[in-house]
Amino acid sequence: MNRRILALTGAAAMITSLAACGGDDGGGGDTEGILEGASITVGSKDFDEQLILGHISRLALENAGADVTDEINTGGTDVARAALTSGNIDTYWEYNGTAWISFFQEEEPIPDRIEQYEVVRDRDLEENQLHWLEPAEFNNTYALAYQADAGADLGNPESLSDLEDIIANDPDLATLCVESEFSARNDGLPGMEEAYGYEFPDGNVTELDTAIVYSATADRDPCNFGEVFTSDGRVSALDLVVLEDDQGFFPLYNPSPVFTDEVYSEYGDQLDEIFDPISAALTQEAMTELNERVSVDLEQPQDVAEDWLSENGFI
Amino acid sequence: MTDAPVVSSGTGPLKVERSSDRGSVLSWVGMPVFLAVIFAATYLWVQSQELGGVEQRVLTRDQITSRTIQHLELTAVSTLIVILIAIPLGILLTRRAARPLVPIVLGIANIGQGIPSLGLLAVVFVAFGQLGFTPVVFGLVAYSTLPILRNTMVGLQQVDPSLIKASRGMGMSSLGILLRVELPLAIPVMIAGIRTALIINVGTATLATFFGAGGLGYIVYNGITLNRTTVLITGVVLVSGLALIVDYLAGAVGRLLAPRGL
Repeated sequence: MNRRILALTGAAAMITSLAACGGDDGGGGDTEGILEGASITVGSKDFDEQLILGHISRLALENAGADVTDEINTGGTDVARAALTSGNIDTYWEYNGTAWISFFQEEEPIPDRIEQYEVVRDRDLEENQLHWLEPAEFNNTYALAYQADAGADLGNPESLSDLEDIIANDPDLATLCVESEFSARNDGLPGMEEAYGYEFPDGNVTELDTAIVYSATADRDPCNFGEVFTSDGRVSALDLVVLEDDQGFFPLYNPSPVFTDEVYSEYGDQLDEIFDPISAALTQEAMTELNERVSVDLEQPQDVAEDWLSENGFI
Repeated sequence: MTDAPVVSSGTGPLKVERSSDRGSVLSWVGMPVFLAVIFAATYLWVQSQELGGVEQRVLTRDQITSRTIQHLELTAVSTLIVILIAIPLGILLTRRAARPLVPIVLGIANIGQGIPSLGLLAVVFVAFGQLGFTPVVFGLVAYSTLPILRNTMVGLQQVDPSLIKASRGMGMSSLGILLRVELPLAIPVMIAGIRTALIINVGTATLATFFGAGGLGYIVYNGITLNRTTVLITGVVLVSGLALIVDYLAGAVGRLLAPRGL
């Protein structure tokens, strides 16, 4: 719910800030002006990280001289994807794991970051003429976490393997809050339990809305453990301890800017030149910090994106 | 001021079952047959699909049974509580002494139904500071009080005043008139309100999955978020089928309770 309110305020603020950012203020970066004359529509999904990534694309493209139409906050995954395949938007950031499991309806994720990216890239190019640029460094995948203060009660588990002891010896403590989809996906709870060889006791798993999982885990009511996203700003803000995926089970969700053939076939080289260094600089720490500024400190996604791009010399 | 019935607006049709329907075979078997066909068709269609891991996990017999039971529990408990609250309240509000309170109570009930259901559940969850069955039932109760309350009042108000005067003339007490004249005559309209509340609750209970109370919403929203059409359609068929079954059963009860000769 929070996320939706934030998205709304973000959209409202976007309108006001658009008025303020007309004209080239002679910023900087190596790619300034290389897209003169290009006309590109930028979209994004509807949560904080996506709003930031959308504004990063918009600002970088504007800096390169492109005429950018802002369709950021296009909608959920399916809406953004449909907008891209139908050409209503020319680009948004998509996660390789999402494409693999949701769009291509594959069941088994590929554990290597580059391999997972390459199969998605090749398949989407072949089937849908969509172009996946190099993936970002950071990985926004699933993890289980608990409130730091609960550590003493729970025996300070460090990895998912440590949960086996808790489930075996103290099943009442092994309570888990998840989004409903996490309990149904192969790359979610069922696969994780299989990979680690344990199962949370019947009745200990509560399905909740995404935002409520974070607050329920922080409050330890009704569960000690919660399913979180690794790059989410609320993880550190709520003082949650993330359990290491020591068996390397969870798939990789590295996002790439995805472009339509219409734009990429004309400006492909310039787009690679603009986005490859940006993706390389988007490390786990960098993205988590950006997300925290938006989700927790309630800063505007476009301001956060602009700060980061100029601090790193991209614009 | 007259005693003419207040025409309810926006709370569903004031559908009054007539007792003459009681004998019609089609009215008794039509809906069950229709639902059996829909469920069978969905079952066969799902069987014919190639099912991936998500489908195999969400559409198991255990999952469907337990989610349906959770959904029925939410609906049954909340509707029962609403009946216990709204019918006595409706009776009280139609007594002469309580007239000044009517706009206040109806106003509160209107607010309950006016707030979007997801928002209402979120507010209840924040107010309770707790997740799960109880706050969701509380939200459903707040959301479905109005139709039963209003239909109880309308049902009682539409009773011909001359009948009440005649009963009084025969020496019946106020309680006797209520129990033996007013309520029996109001039952068809009251049942219509209960059916509306049941359908509202079956539909709104799909949101319970966001608040840790399970239900068939689990299947529907997994179908949406994971883009699995088979799962989505199965969930939707189950929820709508459940709403129709529950409505059918309440309608059947209404027909049996309706006074003969009305």
